[in-house]
Amino acid sequence: MKPIKNFIHHLNLNKVFLLMVLPGALWFLFFSYIPMFGAVIAFKDYRIGRDGFLASLMQSEWVGFKNFEYLFSTNDAYIITRNTILYNVVFIILGLVCAVAMAIILSEIVNKRLAKVYQTGMFLPHFLSWVIVGYFTFSFLSVDKGVLNQFLVWIGQDPVSWYSESKYWPYILVFLNLWKGIGYSSVVYLAAIVGIDKTYYEAAMIDGANKWQQIRHITIPSISTLMTILTLLAVGRIFYADFGLFYQIPRDSGPLYSVTNVIDTYVYRGLKVTGDISMSTAAGLYQSFVGFILVMTSNWIVRKFNKENALF
Amino acid sequence: MAKTKKMLLMSISLVMMASLFLAGCGSKNEASQEGTPEKPVELIWQTIGTPQKDVDKVMAKVSEYTKEKIGVTVKMKMYDWGDYNQKMQVVSASGEPYDIAFTSSWAFDYVNNARKGAFYDLTELLDQHGQGIKDTVHPSFLEGAKIDGKLYAIPVNKELPAQKVFRYNKDLVDKYNLDIDSVKTLEDLEPLLAAVKKGEPNLYPLSAGKDFRFTLPLDLVNENMPLGVRLDDNGDLKIVNLLEQPEVLKNFETMHKFYKAGYVKQDAATATSGDEMKTGAWLTDLAHTQPFADALWSESNGYPVVSRPAEDPYVYNWSVTGSMMAISANSKYPEKAMEFLNLLNTDKYLRNLVNNGIEGDHYKRLGEDRIEYLPAKQENYDMPSFTLGNFFILDKLPSDPDNKWEEFQKFNDSAKNAPLLGFNFNGDKVKTEMASIQNVREEFYPSLFTGTVDPAVYVPKALEKFKQAGLDKVQAEMQAQIDEWKASKK
Amino acid sequence: MRKKKYRDAHHVSPAINVLFNIIAGVFAFICVYPFLFVIVISLTSEESLTKNGYSIFPEKWSFAAYEYIFKAGDQLLHSYGVTILITVLGTLVSLLVISLYAYAISRKNFSYRGFFSFIAFFTMLFNGGLVPTYLVVTQMLHLKDTLWALILPLVMNAFYILILRTFYSTTVPDAIIESAKIDGAGELRAFFTIVVPISLPGIATIGLFATLGYWNDWFNALLYIDNPSLVPLQSMLMRIENSMQFLLTNAQLSSSGQSLELLRTLPQEATRMALVVLATVPIACAYPFFQRYFVQGLTIGAVKE
Repeated sequence: MKPIKNFIHHLNLNKVFLLMVLPGALWFLFFSYIPMFGAVIAFKDYRIGRDGFLASLMQSEWVGFKNFEYLFSTNDAYIITRNTILYNVVFIILGLVCAVAMAIILSEIVNKRLAKVYQTGMFLPHFLSWVIVGYFTFSFLSVDKGVLNQFLVWIGQDPVSWYSESKYWPYILVFLNLWKGIGYSSVVYLAAIVGIDKTYYEAAMIDGANKWQQIRHITIPSISTLMTILTLLAVGRIFYADFGLFYQIPRDSGPLYSVTNVIDTYVYRGLKVTGDISMSTAAGLYQSFVGFILVMTSNWIVRKFNKENALF
Repeated sequence: MAKTKKMLLMSISLVMMASLFLAGCGSKNEASQEGTPEKPVELIWQTIGTPQKDVDKVMAKVSEYTKEKIGVTVKMKMYDWGDYNQKMQVVSASGEPYDIAFTSSWAFDYVNNARKGAFYDLTELLDQHGQGIKDTVHPSFLEGAKIDGKLYAIPVNKELPAQKVFRYNKDLVDKYNLDIDSVKTLEDLEPLLAAVKKGEPNLYPLSAGKDFRFTLPLDLVNENMPLGVRLDDNGDLKIVNLLEQPEVLKNFETMHKFYKAGYVKQDAATATSGDEMKTGAWLTDLAHTQPFADALWSESNGYPVVSRPAEDPYVYNWSVTGSMMAISANSKYPEKAMEFLNLLNTDKYLRNLVNNGIEGDHYKRLGEDRIEYLPAKQENYDMPSFTLGNFFILDKLPSDPDNKWEEFQKFNDSAKNAPLLGFNFNGDKVKTEMASIQNVREEFYPSLFTGTVDPAVYVPKALEKFKQAGLDKVQAEMQAQIDEWKASKK
Repeated sequence: MRKKKYRDAHHVSPAINVLFNIIAGVFAFICVYPFLFVIVISLTSEESLTKNGYSIFPEKWSFAAYEYIFKAGDQLLHSYGVTILITVLGTLVSLLVISLYAYAISRKNFSYRGFFSFIAFFTMLFNGGLVPTYLVVTQMLHLKDTLWALILPLVMNAFYILILRTFYSTTVPDAIIESAKIDGAGELRAFFTIVVPISLPGIATIGLFATLGYWNDWFNALLYIDNPSLVPLQSMLMRIENSMQFLLTNAQLSSSGQSLELLRTLPQEATRMALVVLATVPIACAYPFFQRYFVQGLTIGAVKE
């Protein structure tokens, strides 16, 4: 009985905090944890029965890992896994560097009004869906009407058939990802920089530190926790790819698959006709599971160095 | 240690809360079998198309009628073209109640969903409550819609076979005085294309986008697999590979030649056709026809279009399942739903009401079976006719010829059955392979069919990748099922 | 001399300032450019579009797209109303719940902080998928065809929680809270009177994200809303885009010649772009408003020191 009694005593001690997390915890319960039971569908051959979802789920046959096989069985499995990971690694690293750099630049620009104008501008890509961004990339890269090819012809170069030359695409995709994401992520860093206690800078200036030294020794260390946390979170989604970026932007062009096919597009193409929810759930579970293992590992490593910076 | 225990206790209390909530979420099933004019039942009808403002208004009128006739009222839910698939997948998988749904080979896939158990088995219901459907709907429709001998949806009685034609922009045909009657194959197009390209160097005479397909010599088992039985099959029903057929290889060569000569636009493999249809900057393409198609195309394009057959009409599984209505496996009133479908397909008043809206509001009656649309029809009740039931009892529009439905009947009767009509492949055992093959298909088909790449290099490449993806296994499984089907038919 | 050095350390040198301005300005321009393009296209006549494709200097200008939209006016106004309502209401609810949750798990004297951090984080990676969530929303919570179906599913977001937790733990010193508690304030009061003002930049950021999340959301409407008067703006736009894509890329439909007929029922290109403009401009204009909050948060923070 003692552990229960202890437990209740503990609950009482943390009453206020528990009250604070209660609405959120209830939300997680309803919108995340209850639906999570449905993930067993990945291990079943789902059939629709007459008595609703739960009954159908119970009655469907267990098939073990059969629904996962298509993610590993072919040569494409290697390509899509490689592409997904490599792109995400580049996105994480460049995204971090560029967003922090942009945040620092914006915070240091003397004319604050101008800085705000820039910042607002950088936010706009976030409002355009990939479908629409796709129209624009096409208006740039189209073989005959594209701006870029017209330019190439004008300076006396041969036009390039952009949508069938895979070698350019890693750069195009990385550029567009940064283009769309920097405005958004630099806002977080900017808010953190703005929140740094001004007295640190005053003290540093009295010690004769110049602006660069201040950035290196005050600004960056102050936002390092945030940088670590955001990177850890990004690592968790390393097996997920932004579907629109990899599907809409290259216009689903076959010759580019070797550099544009990622797990999400592969699953989409493979299942778009059958719409097999068991297999699509299996893909999601696989992506989450790998991400989970990676985050737990990196979190554990981060903890070794600095407990403050870890996720939990 | 203490910490783990703490975590454990917290988790247990959360799980207990969760299961309490779950217990409260069982679905209630009350089986009330009413359905009389006094106590009508409500049928929910899910269908595809851009939602229209006046749907509820028209359905109220429909309900008024059906309440008297068969004791049902109708609620229609429309989901837009791009949403229907996803929405219906969620609705049907979650067991949300509905009664009637649009299904087809291209949206809310008929075969897969029937096999998964989404639809009610109509085989017996049709005998009991669907006599009218059996009398009016062409028997090939009902035959081709069967899966393992059972019927899961009622096909819309419309044009039955599929036949590709060469379509031409008549203005250009006249301008260059082209002989379109001599064109029987893709290759025959060459002199025409050359003539137009010479006269209009900035125009791509052969309109082709990423979905471009020339005529195929196969009855494909499944639109997404490169496997099928030759249309001139001798009765063996042997499965062969599309990319190994001499006609197909030759056409790939021809297309590549056309592509290099600039007859096809350079980004054809990623393009979606449409723009040139609006501007008229094209000479020819391939399309599926139906009676009076030329008039239809001319009207929607705004300039004259003519066509000549490119192949014989055949009845395929996919042409039969192009537009159907199924009853949900969860429907509380499957008999009533069947009665309604029967009425919809046979009752002239009901079918026209659903299709054209309300007289005076949406259309004006001109004669016994002829009407004219009012502006409100376009604005508030613009329904896709081909998804809503039997064509042959529809009123005609002023532009329709008198013998419209007779010609449809003739077209339907003229067609031969494709060798695999009535066979539907069950891919359960090879779904892993099929997902991979689907990816390979999307990688190679657009560039090969539009001639963007050299077939001498890319066909072997594609074949190799298909093999790696497990095509042989799928082929063996298909052949086994077909052999069984063949045996059962005898 | 001394004074000048002091000033230098306050700001970057003028040369660097110019460089920074150029970098930020060029990047901002690259970001704004496509948006200008969208505006131009929305004002281009449909014939020039089919003839010449996209061009920043169209052959013929036209207001037809906007006229078309405003003629079908009530739907658009309705959708604006829905979007604004769910954005405002949703952001408020979301901020309240998230900031409380994040605060609790940022406090070292909360015994279950590890547990609650973990259950939040876990939901970032694992979810039950579409169908189970749909069931919970429609059959357990009975939210179908209500505004709550557009608000509740987006209230929490583990990502925002973990960011905000970091903001609290890095910008709010424990000592301040402790001293407030010695003065007799409870945890809750300390939170509202001391923590919130100091962390306003962080909270405003999350508020901005939540606003954008609500404004841009279309998927929940696709799943849960059948009633046309509850359809938000983005959802209206996405529905048109999706249907366009579907009709254009559906091989069977397009080869039957039917798709062209069906496509005519959908708005034309310029109209779609006009919808993008109408869906983006209000929220882009609201952005500076959020920035004011940064500044306010700052000044309050400074006063506290």
